[in-house]
Amino acid sequence: MELLIFILVIISALFVIASGVWVAIVLISRNRRVE
Amino acid sequence: MVLSVAVVLAYVVLLTFVAVRARAAREFEEFSLAKRALPLALVFGSLAATYVGPGFTIAFVGRGFNSGFLFLGIGLAYAIQNILVGLFVAPRLRALKNCHTLGDAIGQKYDRKCQILAGIISVGICTFLAAVMAHAGGVVLTDIFNLPSWSCVTIVVGVTALYTTFGGLRASVITDAFQFSSFAILLPITLLFVLMFHLDCGAAAFAQQTSVATVEGFGSVSLIKIVGLVAAFLLGETLIPPYANRALASKTTHISRNGFILAGIFSVVWFMVMISLGITARSIIPKDTAEDLVLLKLVESILPASGYALLLVVLVSVVMSSLDSLLNAGAVAFTQDIVKPFAKLPDKSSLKIGRCATIIIAVIAVACAPAVPSIIDGLLICYTIWASAILPALIIGLWIKNPRPLAGILSMGVGTLVAMIAIMFFFIFPSIIDVPAIIIPALGSALLAYILGHWIASIKSGA
Repeated sequence: MELLIFILVIISALFVIASGVWVAIVLISRNRRVE
Repeated sequence: MVLSVAVVLAYVVLLTFVAVRARAAREFEEFSLAKRALPLALVFGSLAATYVGPGFTIAFVGRGFNSGFLFLGIGLAYAIQNILVGLFVAPRLRALKNCHTLGDAIGQKYDRKCQILAGIISVGICTFLAAVMAHAGGVVLTDIFNLPSWSCVTIVVGVTALYTTFGGLRASVITDAFQFSSFAILLPITLLFVLMFHLDCGAAAFAQQTSVATVEGFGSVSLIKIVGLVAAFLLGETLIPPYANRALASKTTHISRNGFILAGIFSVVWFMVMISLGITARSIIPKDTAEDLVLLKLVESILPASGYALLLVVLVSVVMSSLDSLLNAGAVAFTQDIVKPFAKLPDKSSLKIGRCATIIIAVIAVACAPAVPSIIDGLLICYTIWASAILPALIIGLWIKNPRPLAGILSMGVGTLVAMIAIMFFFIFPSIIDVPAIIIPALGSALLAYILGHWIASIKSGA
């Protein structure tokens, strides 16, 4: 149970980071297209 | 100190560069709805950046510190609200033609009077929320620069108003996406850093702190307060003007729906990360640390000075991304719902009025910022007024076939009045009434007023 909560928290953190990276990639590729 | 200032200034320069690349809006459609061409990633990123304000960062870390995962349950109500809006309301809003604001939507479903009243409420709410954000931005910058509070508030609002005035919604959305990426990457990295290097006994210590904090949390909050908080999270922020603008500016109805659903799912994970940061802080900083200072103290004690400066930058981002959306949404509502119903304006004049309104709302926000009681109370007051004033008329209007203007006017009028009287009562007798609990009677009376108005109008039209 302890390990499960711990892993869940780490997965959440990774999910949030992945969302940030996804939005950043779209933003950068959009800027390139505008150029 | 020098390093902190340098990091913040570098961030502001980078942000200005991103905003300048978004280009100035050349027509009102671009200023208000970014030409209805936003892709999914930008709708999602911008929605998440707008709702992740100081309340969902600083305050949630503090709540995790004091009451463990109790607030994750309350936060679930917020996620459910976003998902429900995505499934049932956002696509219907996006499908309306020639609709720039919520007031427009209400005007199309009821009549012009309802649109103007909805516009006045929208502008008022955006201005008060902007004042709350300005207050929060002032608190963060004062900590970095050691300048007087008023000058810090002016810097935050000034920079934000500058790019929002010229770039409109597109600049707001693009800078939001940039700001979202910075805090969505840096704050979870801080959590992972604490979990890996600063938690003795690892998973076992974390689980033990979680259970102790959550039990303490349930013991310290009354049932009525929990019900009020769930109601405030479920309804308070539903479709406030900046969110509605993003629903309307999506490229398609599908993007509008999926953007809200994704933002809802993201909010649960975000709350998990923020609360976990608060729980990890329990074994690192003193137990009597004030709730709003937990995040700052935690980072100060585990990261070097440059890390602390980076966190302050993240917090400035969190504030600015919410503030720019509010300034733009307020200005668009003013132009579209209050000025346009009285005068036929050429596009260029609408754009000029929108820009002037952005500046005026920013100035009022700066002036009102010192009067904000606290970040959480300020937000809850705004949500209470918004939920009771607008939600019944908007949601019922979008769903029933022949909504009656009398029902719309009565619901908006009574909802606003009851919420404001209850809030004044809260300021006079703070020990008797809790802010989160006000939403229940205010929303109930708005619903009753709607039913009454609908019934009277039906009898009149039948006679």
